[in-house]
Amino acid sequence: MELRSALLRAALARPAVLTAVLPGATRARLAVERELRARRWPRVLSPAAADLLVVVGRPGEDEPAWLEGTWQALSEPRALVRVEEAADAGAVLDAGHAALLRGGPRTGTAAGGPRPHHASPVTDPGHLDHAHADHMAAHSHDSPMLISGLPLADRADDRDGLRLDRLHVPFGPVLPDWPAGLVVRLALQGDVVQEVTGVELVPAAPEPRPAFWDEPWRRAAAGAPVTRGEAARRRCAAHLDSLGRLLAVADWPDAATRARRLRDAALADAPAAELAYPARRLARRVGRSRTLRWLTSGIGVLPRERALAAGVGGPALEADGDVWRRTVQWLAEAVRAAEACEDPRPLPPGDPYGPRGELTGEQPPSRALLDVLPSLLHGAELAAARLTLASLDPDPDELLPVAAGEVARG
Amino acid sequence: MADSAPLWAAAALPLLLAPAALAVACADGRSVAPVREVLRLLVQQPRRTRAADALATRTGTVLLPLAAVLAAAVVPLGATPVSDLGDGVVWFNAMEALAWAAVWLTGWGPNSTLSLVGGYRFLAQGLAYEIPHMLALTTAALGAGSLRVTEIADAQRGLWFAVWMPAAFALYLLSAAAMSFWGPFGQPAGRDLAGGVATELTGVGRLLLLGGRRLLLLTSAAMAVPLFLGGGHGPLLPGWAWTLVKTGAVLALLLWLRRRLPGVRMDRYTELSWVVLTPLAVLQALVVAVVVLP
Repeated sequence: MELRSALLRAALARPAVLTAVLPGATRARLAVERELRARRWPRVLSPAAADLLVVVGRPGEDEPAWLEGTWQALSEPRALVRVEEAADAGAVLDAGHAALLRGGPRTGTAAGGPRPHHASPVTDPGHLDHAHADHMAAHSHDSPMLISGLPLADRADDRDGLRLDRLHVPFGPVLPDWPAGLVVRLALQGDVVQEVTGVELVPAAPEPRPAFWDEPWRRAAAGAPVTRGEAARRRCAAHLDSLGRLLAVADWPDAATRARRLRDAALADAPAAELAYPARRLARRVGRSRTLRWLTSGIGVLPRERALAAGVGGPALEADGDVWRRTVQWLAEAVRAAEACEDPRPLPPGDPYGPRGELTGEQPPSRALLDVLPSLLHGAELAAARLTLASLDPDPDELLPVAAGEVARG
Repeated sequence: MADSAPLWAAAALPLLLAPAALAVACADGRSVAPVREVLRLLVQQPRRTRAADALATRTGTVLLPLAAVLAAAVVPLGATPVSDLGDGVVWFNAMEALAWAAVWLTGWGPNSTLSLVGGYRFLAQGLAYEIPHMLALTTAALGAGSLRVTEIADAQRGLWFAVWMPAAFALYLLSAAAMSFWGPFGQPAGRDLAGGVATELTGVGRLLLLGGRRLLLLTSAAMAVPLFLGGGHGPLLPGWAWTLVKTGAVLALLLWLRRRLPGVRMDRYTELSWVVLTPLAVLQALVVAVVVLP
């Protein structure tokens, strides 16, 4: 028993962490990411590989089915903790680690106890059990064949006119380098996206503060004193955050880590001189990568006219093109913003340009980014689809309703 | 003429390879985290997905490290491999092709889309890398006039094959990363698929797959030494030390490449492979044939 507990202690000295981030929780997510990097706890890609599930943010439901499913996909030893405020990140991770080492009765079940079944539609983003009932009904056989209670895949013509198996698979909300709480429902044939059948967000509790990445502009609009430097710093960090996700999805961990370190330096008020140089170096290394250019050209093409028609603004509009063009646009804007992040002049209250586009419109810029998504993903390989989404990087925080009268706080 | 090693070497081979593969993993991550990871996976309980084909998963995960160790049997340490087969190059290629079956079975087993797509990706990757790879192996064998690995190494006493068949050497290095679905060729277990073929694996199964992948990388890097870098031949040091030094250099080159490159997708690479790399490999083989067959 002694040996067993010593072994467990050594094995779990640095638990493997999977994060499940909800819309509106960017502050807390950044704090958790910083904390995990400082502790050098490994971050894993799927529930099966994780010891500790960290839920970041406040779910809008009591027992979200997706969370329960994710939790059930972790194998023992496991623990679940929730980080709601950025300031609590360290303490909550400590508590999770302690719970993991204690073993025995689990403190943090998602729904208070084990359930007999663990697959529900949004939960494990990947099981072949999601052929929707409505799609099945459109099919000729009366009672769909079931295997272990799961319906078989249906069939449809693929892009070359061949009749192939079609799977209905929800992607998200718990995927690495994925927008917080986003669920994209895909009809897949092999690894080709035949159709996007739905784009939605998991419910999250309303946030009293404006979206983290838009905060300086929102505060300035509400009359609070904000400098241009402050806004530039936030824009720089926002683009670096997006670049970190994109480079991670492009499977370039080295460059992604550089972008994320720089993002944290920008948010930690590093002086402009210390930001601008590494930002230029990152822009050079990534912007001059012929391999990345070769791999990301020609996918997710969003020409200017189509972007304008869909109401897309910001870098995605300016880039006027494919994933590569949007990457280069972010890099250039991040470098410009890094150079301007000590500008002491006040930000004019009417300045509408947030990191993802105009903030004064009827709807937030991320809404338009999500709206163009289905048409861009149609017929794309899964890898290209993920790159396309990452290169648009809609911010789910912007889509949460903001409690009125709280805008100036922050 | 080198002899095969004594019988006990066959048992010692996995014991030698496993710590070496772990060391490669540590060098890759620049930390000792992989050691802890092994321990962590050993205490993790196995978990099954619904309607999983457990036999397929188990076969696949066991097959991968097995294939790597069997392939390593013909790689000489110094001048002596565990088994000095007359057609060692063919054996090596056959064992490494077993990895196709292993990865596909592992992807199919858990009844999960992400892991299945990871399996597809490896088959596509196989179609892209295998032909230039086989041509590169053939070119080295052609240069030495033998399929026996020790004879290929001995044929390079004067001049390394890497020097006068650089294209074959470069293609071999690319395929070493591709066959072990590692680094820029890691898409079958890619981040965008939340781990691809490894998505649903827990505990020992995960350890076998991820460890097998490292073993395969190590074995294919070590094989580059007798094929292109003069095997154990070199001044001062004994043969086994030269093998280790050269293997280390090949691995360092691959690790450096990893840091410079994003993941390569097969929908782009296949075109490059068939239109540029395959003709290049054929051309290289032709040049070598003209030189050695007077």
